[in-house]
Formats: sequence, C-alpha cells, structure tokens
Amino acid sequence: MDVVTAKELTYQERIERLRATKMRHTEEKWRDIGVLDMDDHGLILPPVGSRRYVQVISGSGVPMKDALFADFTPKSNHPSGGIFGARACGENFHALLEMHPTYVDPVSSLAGCYMVNFLSYRQPAWNPDFDFSHLKVEHELYGLHHGIGAVQHFCQDMTIGFTLGWGGILAKIKKYRMINRDEEAQELYDGLEHFVLGMQTWIEKTARAAREMAEVEEHPQLRENLIQIADMNDRLIASPPQTFREACQWMLWYQLAGKMYNMGGSLGRIDQFLYPFYVRDVERAILNDEEAIFHLACHFVMDTSYTQLGGPDASGNDSTNRLSYLVLEAVHRLKIPVNVGVSVGEKVDPALLRRGVEILFEDKTGIPKFLGVDRTSEGFARNGYPPALGRERAYSGCHWCALPGREYTVNDCVKINLARVFEVALQEMLADTSVTPSMAAVWGRFERHVRRSVAVVATGLDFHIDHMYRVFPELHLDLLCHGPIERGRDASHGGVEYVNLCVDGSGLATVADSFAALEKNLELETRYTWGQMRQFLASDWDGPEGERARLMMRKTARYGSGGSRADEYAVRISNIFTAAVKEKPTPHGYNMIPGLFSWAANLLLGKDVGATPNGRHAHAMISHGPNPDPGFRKDAAPTALALAVAAVQPGYGNTAPMQVDFDPGVSGSQESIDSIAALIRTHFDLGGTQVNINILDKKRLLEAHEDPSRHPGLVVRVTGFSAFFGSLSPEMRQMVVDRILSQE
Amino acid sequence: MPSDLVFNIQRFTIHDGPGIRTTVFVKGCAMGCFWCHNPEGRHSYRELQYFEDRCIHCGECVHVCPSQAHDLRDGLHHFLRDRCRVTGECVKVCCSGALEMNGRVMTVDEVMEEVLRDRPFYQTSGGGVTISGGEPGLNADFVRGILGRCKGEGLHTAIETCGYCSWSALESLLPFTDLVMMDLKVITPEKHRLATGNTNEQILANARRLAATAMPIIFRTPIVPTVNDTVEEVRHIVAFIADLIALRTRGGANHRSRISYELLAFHKLGSVKYRSLGLEYHAIALDPPKRRHMEELLVLATEAGIEATMR
Repeated sequence: MDVVTAKELTYQERIERLRATKMRHTEEKWRDIGVLDMDDHGLILPPVGSRRYVQVISGSGVPMKDALFADFTPKSNHPSGGIFGARACGENFHALLEMHPTYVDPVSSLAGCYMVNFLSYRQPAWNPDFDFSHLKVEHELYGLHHGIGAVQHFCQDMTIGFTLGWGGILAKIKKYRMINRDEEAQELYDGLEHFVLGMQTWIEKTARAAREMAEVEEHPQLRENLIQIADMNDRLIASPPQTFREACQWMLWYQLAGKMYNMGGSLGRIDQFLYPFYVRDVERAILNDEEAIFHLACHFVMDTSYTQLGGPDASGNDSTNRLSYLVLEAVHRLKIPVNVGVSVGEKVDPALLRRGVEILFEDKTGIPKFLGVDRTSEGFARNGYPPALGRERAYSGCHWCALPGREYTVNDCVKINLARVFEVALQEMLADTSVTPSMAAVWGRFERHVRRSVAVVATGLDFHIDHMYRVFPELHLDLLCHGPIERGRDASHGGVEYVNLCVDGSGLATVADSFAALEKNLELETRYTWGQMRQFLASDWDGPEGERARLMMRKTARYGSGGSRADEYAVRISNIFTAAVKEKPTPHGYNMIPGLFSWAANLLLGKDVGATPNGRHAHAMISHGPNPDPGFRKDAAPTALALAVAAVQPGYGNTAPMQVDFDPGVSGSQESIDSIAALIRTHFDLGGTQVNINILDKKRLLEAHEDPSRHPGLVVRVTGFSAFFGSLSPEMRQMVVDRILSQE
Repeated sequence: MPSDLVFNIQRFTIHDGPGIRTTVFVKGCAMGCFWCHNPEGRHSYRELQYFEDRCIHCGECVHVCPSQAHDLRDGLHHFLRDRCRVTGECVKVCCSGALEMNGRVMTVDEVMEEVLRDRPFYQTSGGGVTISGGEPGLNADFVRGILGRCKGEGLHTAIETCGYCSWSALESLLPFTDLVMMDLKVITPEKHRLATGNTNEQILANARRLAATAMPIIFRTPIVPTVNDTVEEVRHIVAFIADLIALRTRGGANHRSRISYELLAFHKLGSVKYRSLGLEYHAIALDPPKRRHMEELLVLATEAGIEATMR
C-alpha cells in the first residue's frame, strides 16, 4: 500500500475532499443541464449513459432542464399520463427508490445522495380533472403565481423521526390504518407505507454497498469508516438514531428523500433537535467538537437546506447553544451555498450575530443570513395566536418560517405581481374616456385591483386545498408532522393543526417609483400629458423622445432615497396590500399572512409586465422583494435601505427581507464588522424581519459573469437563497452584477 | 440661521469616526493637493459638473441655457465651461444625469433633517455625524451650527480638517466636537508647498494647539507616491506626532484623551470627478502604494509607540 494514501486524513482534509467532489458534481451539472436559477439542492446527476432529459417547471416554479434515469418509467394512473393521489405517488416513489443507485463516499461519515427529481417524472403536474379554468382569466390578467399545485414549503418536526425511526413510523401508520378506515385515510396510508418501505430499501442497499466497498478499500481509516457507515445504516433501517452521527445520517436520508420527492426539505432548528444527541455523545466522550463539525459538514455538502440557529424558545429565552456555533463553523469550512440563518433578537446571544458577520466577511458567500426573530414571532401573534406559538415558528425556507410539524403554509409559492396589478389599473384608467386621468384615479383603481387580485388568490388557495391531496400529497412531510398519520389526512387537507397561507406581494419599488414619477412629471411639473405617457408606455419608450422621457421619469426621487414621495407611496402600497390580505380569510375560512417577497421570480414576473412609468422597459425584471431598485440613492446608503425596508413590513409574521450588497470597499476590519452587525440589529429594532447580505469582490464577480468557469467556486446570495454564481442564468447573474455595480 | 454650500451628505460612512456615521461635506478648501479625491469640495462656490459618458446628446440643455454654455454640433453636445453662469437651468432638463450641480446652499435645519434620519443607527453603533469637506474650518459658523445641533440631539460629532484654517475658527468648533481627524501630509515645509500649494506652518501650529487641548485626535496621512511615501517623510510625521503625544502626556489632566494615527493609501477613485469639473487630474500616473509598503510605513508609527492603523 502506498504510504501517502495510507496517511490518516484529518477532518479538515476530508472536508476539503468533499468540497472538491461537490465542485466536480456542480460543474458537471453546469455542463449537462445548464443553468439553474434556484437553490443548489445538492443533487448529483444520474450515472453517465443512463440519463434522459426533460424540460419541466421546478417546485419553485422555475423552468428547468432536468436529467432523469433513462431506465425508470413511472406507472401513470390517469389518461393524461399523470401520477395522482397518495397511492400512485407512493407506489411510484417506492419504485424509484428501489432502483435508485447507491452513493457512498468513503471520505464522508454519512452515506447517500439523490439523483433525480420525482417532480420531473410527474407530468402533467396537475390533475386536469380538477378544472380551474374559471380562475385562469384573472390569474393571467394579474400575472399571479397563484399557488394552485404548490408543493412542500412548510416544515416537519424532525424529532418525530428521531424518536420513531423508520420502523416506528411504519408501526404508527399500521396502527392508525386500523383506526381511520375511510377511503381518503386508507389511500394516504398506502402512499405513506410505500414511501417508508422505499426508504428502508434505499438505506438497506446503501449499507450493503458500503460493506462491499469496505472489503476492497485499502486505506485503513476509510475502510473503518465504510464499515461504520454500513453498521450504522443497518441499524437505521428500522431503529431510531442513538448517536449524533446516526442522527445526522437519519436527517440526511429524510432530507434527500424530500428533495427527490418534491424538492422539499426544510431543516428548521437544527441546533435544537440535534442538541440532545450532541450533549449525550460529548458526555459519553464519544464525540468532540471537531468530529461534530465534520458530521454536520458531511450533511450540508449533500443537503443545503434552510436552517435557523439560535432564537427564542417557547418561553422567550434564548436557545443559542454550542451546537449553533458548530453549525456555523461547518458551513464556514465548506464554503458552499448552505442556507443558514442566524437569529438576532433582544435576548439572543449577540456573539452569534457577530460570528455570523465575521463569516460573511471571511467567506464572501452571502452566508449566513440574519433573522429578526422577535419581529416575526410578534407579528405572527397578530394573527390571533399566543406569543409563545410565534416563537416556535422555525426559519426553514427562503424567506419563511413555519411551526415544525404543525402548520401548512404554501410559503413562498403565491406571488401577487403588484407591478402587473398597477399596469392593469393604469391602462384601465387611460382607456376610460369617461374619466379625467389623475393620480387619484390611478390610485383608486390600483387599490381596487389589489383587493381583487388577493380575492382571486384566496379562491385559488381554497381550490388548492380542496384538491391537492388527490393530486400530489405531501407524503414526505406528512411522515414527520403531528396529525396526518393520526387523522389519516394529508397536511394539505386537514392533516395539521394550523393553516396559515402565505401571500406575498412583489414589485413594490417598481410601483412606488412609478406612482412618484407620474405625480412629479405629469401632475406637479406637467412635463408630460397622460396621453403622451400612454404612448411612451405602449411603445416601450420608443425613439429619442421616448428615451428622454424614460430617463426623465427615472430621475424622480425613488423609494429608498428617504423622505421622498416614492417612500410614502411604498408605505401606502404595503398598507393596502396588507389590509387586502388581512381583511378576511379565504372564502373557506383559511388565514392568509402577507409578506413582501419576489424570491428570484422577479425576472419571470417582469416578463408579464409592459413598460412602467418608473422608466423600466417592458418585460424587464420588476424590483426585488421589498427592496428599492438599485441606484435608489447616490450613496446607496445601507441605512437608507434599512429604514425603507423596515417601513414597509406587513407585520404579521411573514417577512419582507432586506437584501444588501456591499462592494469589498467595506473591509473586514473590526469596525466594519461592528457596523454591519449594528446595521442588522437596528433594522430589526425598526421592524425588519430578515436580512440577506452579499459582500462581493466586484472584479471577481465581473470576471465570473463573463466566464463562469474562471471562478467556479464563487457563491453569491441571489435572494433568500445563495447559489454558485456559475449555476445561474445570464439574466440572474446580471441582476446580481447590477446590484453590486450600483454601489459605485 | 447659518447656511452654506454642501456638496454631499453621505450616509453609512464607517471610516470617518466611530460607528455608523453620516458625513456632511462642506464646500471650500484653501489647499490645492493635486491628488485630492474630493475635488468638488475645493471651490467655495457652486459649479456645474458635466459627466460626458452619461450624456445622450439630446440638446435640451442648449435650449434653456441663458448663457449659451451648451452647444450641439454634429449631434454631439459640447459644454463651454467658461461661458457657464451656473444658473442650473440645464440641470433641471437633463434627463440622463450628465449635468449636475455641485454644491447646494443648505440651512442647518435642512442638514439636520437628513442627518437625523439615521439616528437609530448611530445609537446602536456608537456612531454619529462627521463634518468633512472641503475644509470645515473655513465654514466655521455653519459647521458650528450643525455640530451644536448634533450635540443638542445627543449625537457623537467629529470633524475632518486639513488644518489649514485659522486657529480661532478651528477652536470655535471644539466645544461641539468629540473627535478631530486632522491631516498631516508632509512635515518638510518646501515639499508641503510643492504638493499642496501652501506652506504648513499654520497646519503644524494648529496641530500643536489642538494637542494641547483635551480633544481626542486622529492624525491622518494620505500616503501619496512622489509626495510622502518614503520612510524618511513618514518618520518626520511620526516624530512630530510622538512629540505631541509627549506634550499631551506632560499636560496632566488631558493625558487621557487619545492621539492616534492613520495611514491612508492614495487611490484614484476621484479621477472621474476631475473630468466632470473641467479640472486636470495630475495624479493620474501615480499608482496606489502596495499593501506591503503601507505595512512598512505603519511599523514606523507603532515602533514609536503610537497607536496606528492603515487602510
């Protein structure tokens, strides 16, 4: 045996090897399936030679090319070719897991990866028997992301899995199958049983593969590791995890299955549910911090899911613990796009915020993000819930929180395109020959259409809840929620205690700036007539005159500049949107919670909107989340940004995240770290709910924009998620570049 | 109420004193440092800035200019600065932002309205307000008005001065100031005159007087190639500061107030502004000092027992 290869590898060396492997997989995805304007989920492509390709819409609504196993064809149960209902989804997913190749990296302490999206096999995604064409006219009119057919986007309670294990979950299903005898429950149990049996098969064959690899592995340390993986996974087929490492492995299996099933897999409060294992193993002296960091890194390299660190427990006391810092450290060492959020609050350990900001500067990956836990929990209570319940909500997705295992939310799936709603209102007024055009007339129509768009969404959400369980039930999340198995109901159909449906507004700055530009240039300075404006917009600012008008409209003081009319309009728009969402529940009585967030969909949403009076060209992206448009102030002052975004918060527990992009002129000095920490803390004091920060080297960014292969490891925060820059489409890359360039 | 010309109010400045700050830049400076990165602060009158690269040559400015300072020839806009009477009419109609007015007369109230917007951030970060320039000492009444109001609001205050102003003006600001950041560019008088257009007797005298007060001071040296980037010159500056520290220490009650030192690497970020003002940028051929060299110079200060940083 080669002396060099026999050398004992340190944990850090193993992490570096894992990262290198991850980069190889990522670059292969770039070459093979191209761009991906969404989270890096850790997917590894199917083996070369056994791939076939499809064009699909992702779980987050993004069109994407996807690679599937060429030799797996699911069994449809519908003339449309679709796979609908719990039984069919469970059976097919089980079959997929039966044939899914095993993956064991001898360097990692954990086994498993996922290679395909089950969603991409399920075409069509919606069962055409459940017709909602009666809603489509208004869906299209307002360019809504309506949420019908939305999957996952709520959070499991991992402790259920840690307590029961797969064997215990199976026993639980069998127990309740005997109690709930109705057809809906029986079909759900069939689906869930298939899911669990598939998981057990997958784990069992992986254990076998690890043992086979161990037999031929020459490196003693890695051979020992492979034997441990095999033994551990043999136990986990049925038993719940007993050690920290086993808990990480169990969690990874669950997350991989969620990602494969419907791109789900919100982690939630990892530093809480893993903590008992950590404490017990440390007390038994079978775990130290370095090893804990390594196991966490082995998890994150395969699953980049959303995680909250620290924050209040139900009684309001800070739950930050040693593991919170170890998770941060694991992410820091990996330097891949892991979506970790650091809690910031009155009682939260301030050292966690400071360490988070230090890592932000050191890694320049936009990680971690920061969570205004006091504001989100207080806001949630305004829906009529006890404050303690709000504190239990866990950050577990791009911009969102959910009660682990107890709340159905369709978070981040509904987007009301305020820019499109504004366009409808403006065009309606301009076309109405019976009224004299005025700001008041536009505003009145805008307000009316905002309410109408919310009403259309509400009706659609009821439709979704009525039918989703018969289309694509939440088998994965159902397993670890309180209620679905006990009641025999999918989480989307009465399986969980709380239903709080997330309704986000998008394009705030586009609309606020448009109102301000109209007011200044048409009413106050009478520079243009309404008729001229109609022409400018219809022609997309065509010709030299149009371009001059466009630039003049853009010159109007914008939302974010501070004390401007656009700032006032932004607050008014947020207020009427919030009021429209909160004034009543859906027709079936489900609570809706407003947020302001576009996710990365501001590119897609913009394609539905013609030229707008803020000088935006037709079909260009709309503004990002609740953020002012880049260039909102000459000095791009983050304090001005923080004040603006704090002022437009809907305030009911869902977020309106602030995105801040710094050029590297903000050095990593102690004073810079202190200032950024103060900026974050103050934004939350003022009512802010989440902060996403990029600190990027402009030169490196521009080089990567020109040729992504020059900096394959460059990670940027796009929005609520971070991603490898090279994975993004040219348009999405341009958005990030524009934000940085506007800092000059 | 005092009012004066302000050429910029920049929020979230984090290198102009402790914490998160707002820096108010007042117009007018008697020095003529050829590398100055704020050339728009030099003159104590309003000026038109023309950013050629932003111009779309629409000719709107030609129609409204009362002094024919704008001309459109062969479809291209030409700005004839010597004709400009700085009425600002052209700025109003310039859609592309190519024409900007440098300098706005502001009252203390107007400045305070902007400055107070970030009050929550000052409180969390221990920050406040910094008056820079230009030279605050040449706008003492106005600057004192702002500083006084800031102190009334309980804000931390700082000034950045080149020191080239009367002691009485500078001294009049001190009761309302918590920190003075003062440039010491060159000690050798003749070199100073060549680089800045002025001798440095008054600056050094002001520095000594300042050191004799209880005021916390950060002396600053922009390290500029061909001017002061040598070990020899920085040694002179360090020796001067060391003397002032010794002087303050001997002064008894004042010794607790800190005197520290910052070395700032020359950069060329202001070059675009020179063009926009019709000024020639004489530092264009200079390269920013290398980090290693900055570190060597920094060591001269720390070895002399001076608390020093660089950026």
